[in-house]
Amino acid sequence: MVRVALRGVRAHLVRFCLSVLAVALGVAFVAGTFALRTMLSSTFTDIVATTTLGDAYVRGSEPAGGTGGPDRITPQVRNPVPLTLVDELEAVDGVAAVLADVQGPLVLVGADGTAVQSTQAPSFAFPYYPQDPAVDVVAGRPPAAADEIGVESASLAASGLALGDATSVVVGGAVRPVTVVGEMGLGAALAGATVVFLDPQTAEAAFAPDGTVATLSVLAADGLTEQQLVDRLTPVLAESGVPAEAVTGDEVREQSTENILTVLGFITTFLLVFAGISLFVGGFIIANTFSMWVRQRTRELALLRAVGASPLQVFTSIVLQAAIVGVVGAVLGVAGGLGLVVVLREVLGRFGMELTGRVPLDGFTLVVSVLVGTLVSVLAAALPARRAALVPPVEALRDEVTLPERSLTRRAAVGIALVALGVGAVVVALLDPTADHAGAVLGIGAGAVVLGVLAASPVLARGFLRVAALPFVSWRPVGPLARGNVTRNPRRTANTAGALMIGMALVGAAAVIAATTQASTSAIVTQEATTDYILRGAAQGTVPEQAVVAVRALPDVRAADTFATASVLVGDAAFAVTGIDPTAVGRSIRTEVVEGDFPAALAAGEVAVQRTTMDDEDWSLGDELRLVGSSGTTTAAIGAVIDSPAFGVPLVVSQDVLDPLFPPDEQRMTTVFVTAADGADVAALRDELTEAVRPYVVVSVMDSEEFVSDLAAQVDRVLVILYALLGLSVVIAVLGIVNTLALSVIERTREIGLLRAVGLGRLQLGTTITLESVLTAVFGTTVGLVMGVALAATLPTVFADVGLRTLAVPWTSLALMLALAVVVGVVAALWPAVRAARLPVLDAVSTE
Amino acid sequence: MTAPAIASARDLVKVYGSGETSVRALDGVDVDLVRGELTAIMGPSGSGKSTLMHCLAGLDRPTSGTVVVDGQTVSSMSERKLTALRRTRIGFVFQAYNLVPTLTALENITLPLDIARRQVDHAHLDLVVDTLGLTDRLGHKPNELSGGQQQRVACARALVARPAVVFADEPTGNLDSTSAAEVLGFLRSSVDELGQSVVMVTHDPTSASYAHRVLFLADGRLVGELRDPTADTVLAALTAIRVGAG
Repeated sequence: MVRVALRGVRAHLVRFCLSVLAVALGVAFVAGTFALRTMLSSTFTDIVATTTLGDAYVRGSEPAGGTGGPDRITPQVRNPVPLTLVDELEAVDGVAAVLADVQGPLVLVGADGTAVQSTQAPSFAFPYYPQDPAVDVVAGRPPAAADEIGVESASLAASGLALGDATSVVVGGAVRPVTVVGEMGLGAALAGATVVFLDPQTAEAAFAPDGTVATLSVLAADGLTEQQLVDRLTPVLAESGVPAEAVTGDEVREQSTENILTVLGFITTFLLVFAGISLFVGGFIIANTFSMWVRQRTRELALLRAVGASPLQVFTSIVLQAAIVGVVGAVLGVAGGLGLVVVLREVLGRFGMELTGRVPLDGFTLVVSVLVGTLVSVLAAALPARRAALVPPVEALRDEVTLPERSLTRRAAVGIALVALGVGAVVVALLDPTADHAGAVLGIGAGAVVLGVLAASPVLARGFLRVAALPFVSWRPVGPLARGNVTRNPRRTANTAGALMIGMALVGAAAVIAATTQASTSAIVTQEATTDYILRGAAQGTVPEQAVVAVRALPDVRAADTFATASVLVGDAAFAVTGIDPTAVGRSIRTEVVEGDFPAALAAGEVAVQRTTMDDEDWSLGDELRLVGSSGTTTAAIGAVIDSPAFGVPLVVSQDVLDPLFPPDEQRMTTVFVTAADGADVAALRDELTEAVRPYVVVSVMDSEEFVSDLAAQVDRVLVILYALLGLSVVIAVLGIVNTLALSVIERTREIGLLRAVGLGRLQLGTTITLESVLTAVFGTTVGLVMGVALAATLPTVFADVGLRTLAVPWTSLALMLALAVVVGVVAALWPAVRAARLPVLDAVSTE
Repeated sequence: MTAPAIASARDLVKVYGSGETSVRALDGVDVDLVRGELTAIMGPSGSGKSTLMHCLAGLDRPTSGTVVVDGQTVSSMSERKLTALRRTRIGFVFQAYNLVPTLTALENITLPLDIARRQVDHAHLDLVVDTLGLTDRLGHKPNELSGGQQQRVACARALVARPAVVFADEPTGNLDSTSAAEVLGFLRSSVDELGQSVVMVTHDPTSASYAHRVLFLADGRLVGELRDPTADTVLAALTAIRVGAG
């Protein structure tokens, strides 16, 4: 039987190749996703490994507030340590050097006069220490004065600057003219981060004006282990009286990696979910191919049975062939998947997101991919093989062999049950959107709906296609032929469309989420921002203090309201807090107040808290909060409860409350709302503003519409990767359709021959197959989009708290997707149609 | 041969393969098929009878020689013209797999007309369907029809477009004797009553006995013919050929 199996592979080489292709596609998808995930995380762990080379680190031992963005994922903040410790520690025996980590945000102005930035990556300045093993000078010399900078190689390339060029940097809210004197290497791809080096004195002046830093890196003399070094540092720190501790470099690297992976958690989770979906789609294509493969060979298998092969032998021969197909396909698929990742890396590189050069082929990816390919092939073949093995031998003698089509009732019942369950879960999530696990319940419900629709899709396909094909019925003979072919075997049509269905459901959902995010942002801005113009810092940088002063000095400006953000400790938890001028309320912002008097509370030095935070923390109006900042501590009562996605932070205080808590360089001021004076020419004000901020390069002037589209553009940039992956899934779905169509052309060789014999022209035949393909693609796309849009439409109810409030369905994009489905159908039909048209009539008529 | 031939072949040669493994399926066949007659082509397996029919019907291209059907030289036609010829001037009945499974009996019958985008002549359609006793089966799909009914639907399809000639390749090969007799009787009556020309390949002497004329092939050559045959005379002729060939 082994020989029969091998001969079977050889005899039907085209069929074999198509099956291998199906497996390879599925596996490529899985391997590609896993490899991408590995590549992303190794890029970031590489950054940690090559930049955190200290043998020991000294840091504060008490929690404190600090700089923080408008989020709550900032790692734990500790009290700063004084720079005076540097000399003390350098005196310790076994210490080679102590380097103060005086680093901070800095914006570099590129050759084109705009800020150097890519995607959402940050922009940093580090001090250059000759002893630092992480940094080496690639060209030129290290910065030695306040007006000199070194630039990391990739950042230098991105900036368009060259050694010796004069440019400016924005640091600590001030613009400073500098000269590029050196190119520095960090030995790792930085994922788009911009890195600039300053001489230590300049860095200290900019980032440690109060003489304190977050950490000190300690380098050991030769022959000292990290632990020994820490043991020698600890007593010195205890004597110094500063609340500080020494930890080993390994521990810090581990924690940094962990922090980064936590921050990357969203992407990782997303990619994992995507890998799961890709597994499912890949398995789907493979299973689909094999069930057709076995059906086509039923007669041959019945003949084997007739000449005495046992059902087990027949079964084994099929499964063996499936295993061959699986292994060959999986190996090709892994290669293809890595190829995809290489392409994706190139693409992301073009967007300025440089990733590690190693294409990660770890054992895990390899094993999972090959196992998936082989196992899914064998499993997918096993079910139809079992049916085929039990075919009575007498079937071989019949002319037309058809396996009995099982009734669709069971599939329909399972599908409807799953959909009902899923809808139930979604409804539960919708009815109580504030419940703890509403998001998870929604996710599970969505999953059940998708599985249910897939299960019931043959029934859907029959109904849908009968109706969808109606307009073509009068187009004889092509219309009725195509309609008959797609409705004859609804199971096959549904399976062909399955991969596309999943892909399009994701596309539909993503489109709705993107549109909803945009609409919500827009609604938030138009509802809450009553300002005329908005100033934004580039590269997530702050708007320089002098720029605000300059703007306030303009006669046509009534007010320029700043939003300074930092991160305070309340109890053990860090909260982002924004400080504003209380008079800004009602002038440039309009906030929905749930309880209390918002401006009055701010003016009275009280704190305003978001409704969702009140719920989460179980606070109530009037509670006293102890706010711990990096330079001070205060106690304030909760004076108002607000519901404002525009602030996007849990706590709002008056600027007067914030200032004692944080030094100015720790307050991030990314946005300034400018209100025109009464009677001023608002249109002319724009030119005045542009002129006023021109010296500060990094500041842009926008009206609220531009502000919305700028925010939306940030969302879009994040979505690019999402769209790339979704595009990949659609491409694979298209190849799946090509595969199934080609197989179905082989299966229908005789029928095609007959049609040709009675006079069907090649063009008519090609048109028929194309119409079938288009109908199938439109079916998959329609069901997928309906599913994706319906599920995504529930998000604003469940996730209103995170700012998704206004549901928007991008009908134009969806219509485009449907049009795309027609194109997909035509493209997918090209090869099978040509192949069918080229079949010699006589071969087709007399084929076995 | 007074009546003009509906189809004729001159020095027809068909070689399959090349070199040492080549097979001469047809080795210089000259034949004229008479208009308005049912002609049967007989011969043992491998005699070239199917190849002859395929070449005559434009399904296969001869290696050399000419084929003329209804005044048109088939052997030199382009694929496009051949397709057009098949849809308008030639009807087919195969041994099996005659019908498109997704179409109803009626849709199968009118398929050649649909393909050619021609109007259905309803009077003619009714006549054909009625003669074949298919009137109450028209809405059925092929898998809901018996083997005999399927072959009758195939006959109706071959005839409804009023082709110049109908080629039937073992049309009763898969049928029981009663169904076979119905189908053959119909083919004969289409010749006698409608003036249709029919060419049929068969290996069954009883089937051949329905023909006006039987041509015998052996080893790719025409080795004899018989007019107004009966099952016995066909059998005798076949035996003679086998003896002669053996």
